[in-house]
Amino acid sequence: MAVLMDSTLPTRRRPLGTLIGIAVIIAASVIGYFLFPNNLALLTRIVATMLLVLSIDLVTGYCGVATLGHAALFGAGAYGAGIVSAHFGITEPLTMTLIGAVAGALAGLVSGIVILRAHGLPQLVLSIAVVHLFHEVANKASSWTGGSDGLSGITTDALLGLFEFDLWGRTAYIYGIVLLLIVFVSLRILVQSPFGMLARGVREDPVRVAAMGASVHSVMLRMYVISGAVAGVGGALNAISTQVVGLDSLSFTLSAEALVMLVLGGTGSLYGAMVGTVSFMWFEDVVSAANPFHWLTIVGALLIVVVLFAPKGLYGSAAAFLSRRRGGER
Amino acid sequence: MKKFLATAIATLALSVSAQAATIKVGVVGPFSGPFALQGKNFKAGIDAYMAVNGAKVGDNDVEIIYRDVPQADPAQSKALAQELIVKEGVQYLAGFYFTPDAMAATPILQQGNVPMVVMNAATSAIVTKSPYVVRTSFTTWQTSTPIAQVAKDAGVDKVITVVSDYGPGVDAENAFKAGFEKAGGKVVEAIRMPLSTNDFSPIMQRIKDSGAGAVFAFLPSGPTTLGFVKAYNQNGLKTAGIKIFAPGDLTQESDLPALGESAAGMQTTFHYAVSHDSPENKAFVEAASKAIGNPAELSFPAVGAYDGMHVIYKMIEATGGKQDAKKAVDAVKGLSWTSPRGPVSIDAESRHITQNIYLREVTKGAEGKYFNKEIKTFERQGDPGLAAAK
Amino acid sequence: MQTVLSIAIDALAYGMVLFVISIGLSVTMGLMRVVNLAHGAFAMIGGYLASYATRDLGLGYAPAILIAVVATAIIAVPIERLLYRRIYGAPELTQVLMTIGITFCVIGLANYAFGPTLKTIPLPETLSGSIDLGFRAIATHRIFAIVCGLIVAGGLWFLIERTAFGIRLRAAVDNAPMAAALGVRTQLVYAVSFAVAVGLAAFGGIVGAELLPVEPYYALRYMVTFLVAVSIGGAGSIPGALIACLLLGAIDTTGRYLAPEYGEFFFYLAVIVIVTLFPRGLAGRFK
Repeated sequence: MAVLMDSTLPTRRRPLGTLIGIAVIIAASVIGYFLFPNNLALLTRIVATMLLVLSIDLVTGYCGVATLGHAALFGAGAYGAGIVSAHFGITEPLTMTLIGAVAGALAGLVSGIVILRAHGLPQLVLSIAVVHLFHEVANKASSWTGGSDGLSGITTDALLGLFEFDLWGRTAYIYGIVLLLIVFVSLRILVQSPFGMLARGVREDPVRVAAMGASVHSVMLRMYVISGAVAGVGGALNAISTQVVGLDSLSFTLSAEALVMLVLGGTGSLYGAMVGTVSFMWFEDVVSAANPFHWLTIVGALLIVVVLFAPKGLYGSAAAFLSRRRGGER
Repeated sequence: MKKFLATAIATLALSVSAQAATIKVGVVGPFSGPFALQGKNFKAGIDAYMAVNGAKVGDNDVEIIYRDVPQADPAQSKALAQELIVKEGVQYLAGFYFTPDAMAATPILQQGNVPMVVMNAATSAIVTKSPYVVRTSFTTWQTSTPIAQVAKDAGVDKVITVVSDYGPGVDAENAFKAGFEKAGGKVVEAIRMPLSTNDFSPIMQRIKDSGAGAVFAFLPSGPTTLGFVKAYNQNGLKTAGIKIFAPGDLTQESDLPALGESAAGMQTTFHYAVSHDSPENKAFVEAASKAIGNPAELSFPAVGAYDGMHVIYKMIEATGGKQDAKKAVDAVKGLSWTSPRGPVSIDAESRHITQNIYLREVTKGAEGKYFNKEIKTFERQGDPGLAAAK
Repeated sequence: MQTVLSIAIDALAYGMVLFVISIGLSVTMGLMRVVNLAHGAFAMIGGYLASYATRDLGLGYAPAILIAVVATAIIAVPIERLLYRRIYGAPELTQVLMTIGITFCVIGLANYAFGPTLKTIPLPETLSGSIDLGFRAIATHRIFAIVCGLIVAGGLWFLIERTAFGIRLRAAVDNAPMAAALGVRTQLVYAVSFAVAVGLAAFGGIVGAELLPVEPYYALRYMVTFLVAVSIGGAGSIPGALIACLLLGAIDTTGRYLAPEYGEFFFYLAVIVIVTLFPRGLAGRFK
């Protein structure tokens, strides 16, 4: 199989880098909080989507799997958390998030088993088939999922018994940021661990990894399960903060959009995933509010411009530019 | 925390009503994407109402703020509704094309002290989700039930139902079945097909094989409708004398130019036809055509939006521009007026619109254009769907 | 028996319509190695132009097809030069991003230029009726689509396997630097093949318009269907695409007849099974 992407950034064990990352995320979220105190619901959505995009980055950026069906994992998390709340009365947000992560991981296992059977274009098609199957199952099981009317009736307790999920969405936003930080730190550790290195190796040269005695398939499958858990957390966050889950969270459209965000930011780096999500969703919000009737053309043009002038994605190209400026000390 | 919230909301409410010169109405709908046409109709209906009745109620200016949810996406709908309430300070939420989008926003109405006027979303249960929801559109149950009687009166005893496999489709199937069996007919088979069906020939074959004398069909308006109606003609069902009955979604005015000849003679029941003959409708069509630009694009969501604005204006009148969701909603319970679609009223208990449902036939007009010609009226229909759900 | 025959005919007709539209995609994907998600957009442009030519300019069906196909191919030339040429050999994800961008732009522009409503391409008298096969009726235009599919398949096979251009094309595909060294102008070959593929897309969009009506979201709505068909057949293979389309047509049609409520489910399950069994497509060159 051809190597999918150039590697954008070298990764070494850099605790300093992780700390900087944490600081940047916290700074950005504080700025977001005070700059847009009335848009917290939108910001929370961005955080949830960011988790989905990060999870795609794990399999696409780090393992080289092309997928247009990752919403299946996100939706599984959302429905998992939503169903236990709406049907079983489990309304404790931390438990709901955990259940979302487990549901996402299971969905990751299932879709990983299917998707990893092919490469390249057929792999893309398999991932599309998987997300459509998930969508169809959720549509059929309408007594559990509410079908196309959406799953409503999700209630959540106050977080830690202290903080209600209110109209302003402050609690949901802060909870989302905390989840994002936890995921970010875990993923930093993960991608710099020997396992993460192995996954990178799989992307660069699966044959050599196999020759080293590692099972390529099992590395990718494990990564898929982890990725599912991350996406599931994002889905659960969405379910908790909006109290409703729709079939759109299992859709091909969401999968494709999330992939576009990832490639926009730059694959193979956690920052790229986050930058891509923020830029795309912010851009979408601004343009569609300014002119809801014709924003698609502008977004399309933006994508073309990115491919032509920043082929490694916004973050990847910026990082490459900076390291060149620094005289290539990488 | 709760106390703090209550105070915060009270201050918010006060601050809004203190400077009540401008009353904001937040409209959520599909203004881009595959359903942009429906959102355009929302806007045309609203613009038409404000052009006819002015942009002022008493001393208060009315301002509309649009937010775009291109496809059914409850999470986004809720986020935008929230933003409209806390950031823009809207006193009223309106619009909502898709059921899940409306459902998603209902939990925040009470906390935000904001009434919601649903201008389209057609699942019966929405009004039960919050006491602050008022609906001025229709429900699929409401439009699909009368056609059962029409089918029976046409001498058909056995019918096969064919619907798209999603919420409204299932609603239509149940509504027709309930109505038709009550009238003494029999539904011999019920087919649900995927929303993404492109080729309807195999479905037509199923219909033929079922031995039914007629087919009841429900598909969302748009490209699939065209394929369905064409397949119905080309597979010889029309010539075999198998009749087709459907709610008006299938012959939406904006699809008629494309459907053309192949839809001629089709009978559907619906709450509104652009061709409805009344002075109110003439005025509406004139204003709305101007607002939408191309008159051929005008169809039913516009009238839902027009009447929705009427309800909102009445609410503003009743509250004198102060933010008071309960008082506003109470004021329109039992409200009746003459809409472009005919006489309507808001049912005091369900807060859903009671209206005439019309039987229409697709007919070729004088200038060669096809339109829905009203041939029979079922007066003052409520929503049978709520009763059925109980 | 009659039922079986009837399903078979529906399957054949549907499969052939799919084939006419997706064969152009198979050419770009297999021969030029571009994951071209904008293929549906070109089919849609063809449909719009044909609709405009027949309804607004009052041309006949045949000249309208000809004009629309040629015009779409001409529109595609600068797009190939300016945009596609940059992504030949680029990573798949980059290609996906670029072609989705093009698709979005085309959708937005179509919406702006032609409005959001459905557009039809009126058929001539001879194609608009139904033919009675004795046990059932079938639309004449479906027969027409089947014939078109066969002609396209034959013509393409001849072009690629039997002409000098085909030899150059295959050489450029297998080893572009070597072909260039031997005097093949590979850029020109790519440009011509791209124009041909786009022309085929437009042709398919017009012929298939009765089944897949033309509206702005056409380009996204059916994108997955085309991708699946090409991938199952194996990108770049004409017989593969033909078999795949007929197979998918059969699965889809039979599923829809026997169990419409699970139609979608069976379809994608079958796709998974087939891709798992034939990871490179039924007759693929894609590696």
